[in-house]
Amino acid sequence: MELNAAIETRSLNKRFGGVVAADNVNFKVLSGELRCMIGPNGAGKSTLFAMLCGLESADSGQIFVFGQDVTRTQAFKRVRLGVGLTFQTNRAFHDLSVRENLTIPRASAKQENMEVGQARLAFALDAFGLDPNDQTKAGELPHNQLQWLEMAMILVGYPNLILLDEPTAGMAPEETQQTAKVLKHLNSTGLTTVVVEHDMAFVKDIAQTVTVLHQGQVFAEGSVAEITAHENVRKIYLGRA
Amino acid sequence: MKTIIGLISGGGDIGRTRVFWIGFGVIVLLFLLYPTQTSAFRVSNVSYYLLNIPLGLGMALLWGYCGVLSFGHVAYFGIAGYTYGVIAGNMTENPLGPLAGVAGGLLASAFIAGIFGYFVFYARVQKWIIPILTLVLTLLLETFLGQTAGYQWRIGSVLLGGYNGMTGIPWFQLGGFVFEGYSFYYLCLFVVLACYFSLRMLVNSNFGQVIVAIREDEVRTELLGYDIRARQWVVFVLSAMLAGLSGLLYVQWGNYITPSQVGLLQAALPVIWAAVGGTTSLLAVVISAFTLNWVTYTLSSQGNQYAMVIIGTLLVVTMLFFPRGIVVMVAERLGRLTTRRTAPSKP
Repeated sequence: MELNAAIETRSLNKRFGGVVAADNVNFKVLSGELRCMIGPNGAGKSTLFAMLCGLESADSGQIFVFGQDVTRTQAFKRVRLGVGLTFQTNRAFHDLSVRENLTIPRASAKQENMEVGQARLAFALDAFGLDPNDQTKAGELPHNQLQWLEMAMILVGYPNLILLDEPTAGMAPEETQQTAKVLKHLNSTGLTTVVVEHDMAFVKDIAQTVTVLHQGQVFAEGSVAEITAHENVRKIYLGRA
Repeated sequence: MKTIIGLISGGGDIGRTRVFWIGFGVIVLLFLLYPTQTSAFRVSNVSYYLLNIPLGLGMALLWGYCGVLSFGHVAYFGIAGYTYGVIAGNMTENPLGPLAGVAGGLLASAFIAGIFGYFVFYARVQKWIIPILTLVLTLLLETFLGQTAGYQWRIGSVLLGGYNGMTGIPWFQLGGFVFEGYSFYYLCLFVVLACYFSLRMLVNSNFGQVIVAIREDEVRTELLGYDIRARQWVVFVLSAMLAGLSGLLYVQWGNYITPSQVGLLQAALPVIWAAVGGTTSLLAVVISAFTLNWVTYTLSSQGNQYAMVIIGTLLVVTMLFFPRGIVVMVAERLGRLTTRRTAPSKP
């Protein structure tokens, strides 16, 4: 186990009946890295995220977060190790105000990260145009702000690692660019970031390394240039040979 | 002091304006003066309406704020009531007997709810199954208590009494002062106000915000680092103790309790109070529990056999036309009218 790995999975397997969602997945993200994960629908990206944060248990294999074996650790305890996750479908508390959405995560914040965490949060709130005292119901926000609100919510917990499942889904190009700008800045402060995305322009903009998942397996891994030039990746995912 | 006022007047319940608090103060004053203007019989009846309010508040906290519906909270009402009867009934010579009964009753309801809640929440039982499990518990309790007729079913000198119930339960007393009649009315009023203000503080605290978040989205809340099982368990036990508090006041009011108090009909009532008033507001449930108890008791005491049919019809009407509860929706409408009136007009 490498000491500077933020996440590492070893021979991770998961099946749903006859469907193989994870097939001997060995996946590693180093601390401070900004990794993008791509793959066709059903490749197992969201299931891998769910296993990483503890929402799904693995059939076999091991998961390490910052060097700690969390394979059997409950989801809320993994979060307390400094992990934040946003979902594919927005799960901010729609019936609560923006202020409440940004207050609720505060009690479980990782205090040892407070200084850097506060700076990251302040930057994100400013860049996203979110007022932490806004009494508007979250459900009344436009789609992009709702997505940004959920990202800000996990930053309130001062995490060391964020897992974002399609953070720009449904956003306009300029909103996607703004999201990219914020993620790159957060990563520059040392925040390890793993993003599942379909928007290749966004991936090319932010990713340092790209992992391609296909049929529950790590199909390819490398820089953006390597992945886009990879013949088989172009066949299975990018849609051109 | 500032913190306490801030917690009481926070956004977790309806009613935050100065006008509201003035009106609230006037109503409390009227309740304080009520016994000076009416007969002891009527005061006793109003005591009954008041003593059911903690049970309703417990239901609002559990269902409205935490999103967990219990269809059997009267089980804890009954457990506390019977426990008080047994302890105080065996300590009739001791002035501390009723106090020990109160402590025993609350502990018993908390203990049973704690065990039950542990298995339900830590096993992550799906939400739609919980009402069924809670109802089963209370019906089992009713069936068990119903077959306790006979001299062999006694604890110390107190007979459980089968379907005839436990009788001769002592009044509550503190030192040499016995709470009966008017003093019992004021005890009930004090308990209701104490519960209401404490719960307003709770729902406006960080803990209260988290339980609302659990109601909104359990998975999201857990992935913000909260052990949602522990918080649901705490709320469940707390709401069971509130039901127990009503059970204690009930046996001190009537000096008896029967298994029907934990039966199906009684089990439905707190759910109806909460639904009709509006589950997401403590005040709404206070108003609805008081009013519906008054309606039910008045109709029943006049020999009207249709009291429960009328209450059931009210529930159906509420579900159809006031899905968030009558009091809550009226309060929302009033709030909108006030905002419109105070909003600056467009140039």
